[in-house]
Amino acid sequence: MSFDFLWQGMNVALLPQNLLIGLIGCFLGTIIGCLPAIGPINGIALLLPIAYTSGLAPESTLILLASIYYGAEYGGRISSILLNVPGDAGAVMTALDGYPMARKGEATKALAISGISSFIGGMLAVVAMTFLAVPLSWLAIKFGPAEYFVLMVFAFATLGSMVGHQPVKTLLGCVLGLMLTTIGLDATSGAYRFTFDQPELHDGIEFIILVIGLFSISEVLLMLESQVKGALKPLVVSGAYPSWSEIRFIWWPSVRATVVGFVIGVLPGTGASVASAVSYTTEKRISDKNGTFGHGDMRGLAAPEAANNAAATGAFVPMLTLGVPGSGTTAVMLGALMLYNIQPGPQLFVEQPKLVGGLIASMYIGNILLLIMNLPMVQLFARMLLLPNWVLIPGITALSILGVYSAFASVMSVVIMFGIGIVGYLLRKLGFDMAPIILGFVLGKVMEVNMRNALAISGGEFSIFFSSTLSLVLWVLAALVVCLPWWLRRRQARLAG
Amino acid sequence: MSQPSAAELARRQRVIGRASAAVLMIFAMVYGYFGLTIEYSFSSDPIGPRGFPAGLAVTLFLLGGWYWLQPGASEDMPERAGIVAAATFLAVSLASVLAMDWIGFVPAMTILMSAIARLFGASWPLSLVNGVGQALTWWLLFGPLLGGTLPKGPLGF
Repeated sequence: MSFDFLWQGMNVALLPQNLLIGLIGCFLGTIIGCLPAIGPINGIALLLPIAYTSGLAPESTLILLASIYYGAEYGGRISSILLNVPGDAGAVMTALDGYPMARKGEATKALAISGISSFIGGMLAVVAMTFLAVPLSWLAIKFGPAEYFVLMVFAFATLGSMVGHQPVKTLLGCVLGLMLTTIGLDATSGAYRFTFDQPELHDGIEFIILVIGLFSISEVLLMLESQVKGALKPLVVSGAYPSWSEIRFIWWPSVRATVVGFVIGVLPGTGASVASAVSYTTEKRISDKNGTFGHGDMRGLAAPEAANNAAATGAFVPMLTLGVPGSGTTAVMLGALMLYNIQPGPQLFVEQPKLVGGLIASMYIGNILLLIMNLPMVQLFARMLLLPNWVLIPGITALSILGVYSAFASVMSVVIMFGIGIVGYLLRKLGFDMAPIILGFVLGKVMEVNMRNALAISGGEFSIFFSSTLSLVLWVLAALVVCLPWWLRRRQARLAG
Repeated sequence: MSQPSAAELARRQRVIGRASAAVLMIFAMVYGYFGLTIEYSFSSDPIGPRGFPAGLAVTLFLLGGWYWLQPGASEDMPERAGIVAAATFLAVSLASVLAMDWIGFVPAMTILMSAIARLFGASWPLSLVNGVGQALTWWLLFGPLLGGTLPKGPLGF
């Protein structure tokens, strides 16, 4: 894409009407993002008919929907950091370091850092999209089942970073997460697995039910235990924003996570949850020298946030260039384009320069608007933690129940969420981390389906996993991720000795 | 009551860890059994729907064995008062959720929100005010404002 293209797009996006639409979209998206399970898909699905029937031009509709999308990616972090209730799938890893920061009284700083790293991730990803959208679309085509499988192997290799002083618990958590993905209809053979004739289990365990159960309900149970012991103290909330040195400190982790997030976002079927999980484990592998990740480390918060936003932007690449949606939300947006009789694909850049240029330009403006809008509001959001526990904790429980009920309209889903919450509570008491369970769950389904599809294509030949250059590159990267830190540690010990 | 010694705490943690390992190993066997009895008529790949669960069952069993040998540190299990509070929270939550379709969203949430507020130290009057206020706020937000479908009950909300 040339600068002329972008210039033409800026002329569209900077029209007062489109600026206002972008602002409304960002605001609505932020609100929608904080509410668990509403998510950008539902927000877009809710507003699409209104936008269409009100006679908005296609580019204005797309600007509205896109700004809701990345507004929601910003907003998803708020409940995740403050309440340990992830607003959407991409915000799950944010809770791992964001929530401990909030508990330490650094809620304002945590929210500001997540806003800044989201901005870095979003902005750099839009720049990458501006210049690399068309060439990058080849990557999406090159990824077949075998390459997806090896990508998942690479993602699991980064899991080595999660292994702390009790590696067995990390591995057990990961296997438990993988096991949960086997519940429900097996897409390859049509067999029902572990459903025990219960229709509620036919679609498997939904991610949002698992996450809210594991994080939010188990947290309420832990707080209740502290309350009974008299150990639950009111939180202190410092109004301090991050300093320049702290912003510099999170710059490189955010940039690294943006690269990981954007590339994963470009690949259809992976999405923000995989992007944030892989970027978190990668960053932990690179930076966590003192075991501070998981205890309120700023880099552990910045990495998944930057990746989350970069993936959201990356998901537009296959949608616009190939007509293949990179995520559920972009699938709804694809539907929106079709409502206007616009066929996405390689010709879209030539046939609809105003629309594509306007959309990309609106992302630049949207990211700036979101940062300006969000930074002054973080102190307001952080003050929510000053509410007494007897107001805050019923609120967390209500938000959890509503998040699941409004997404699935099923009481049984809420009951399952409480069941998962009890298991999560017991596992946390036993010293298990929740992150490996989530990682196993996020990666497990993609891994199994693609492994079996690849073997079906090759007629059972395992050599398919080594047959393309891309696969080989990914194998080498996986081997490096596992071996390099071990080799470096050995070398350091030899030099020290 | 005197605090248990460090040796006693370590012994207790070892017992808890080993009991959890045993539960996980039994779970692996049960999961493996059901995994191997999955019924299917056709599979386009050589592994089939049983292969992945079988591999996971074996892995979990082996890891369970490792956990048995090295249970590591864990937190102490809650005392009686903690268990009673947790059981009350779960019982009221489940009862309210299951009753939601019958009595409606706002009454069910009022009961739940009031009970949780009470568990977290609010007086009865404050708990009730909090319960009614939160139930109505959440209903307004997720119902009329966001267009969600919430259980109506005889009162219509």
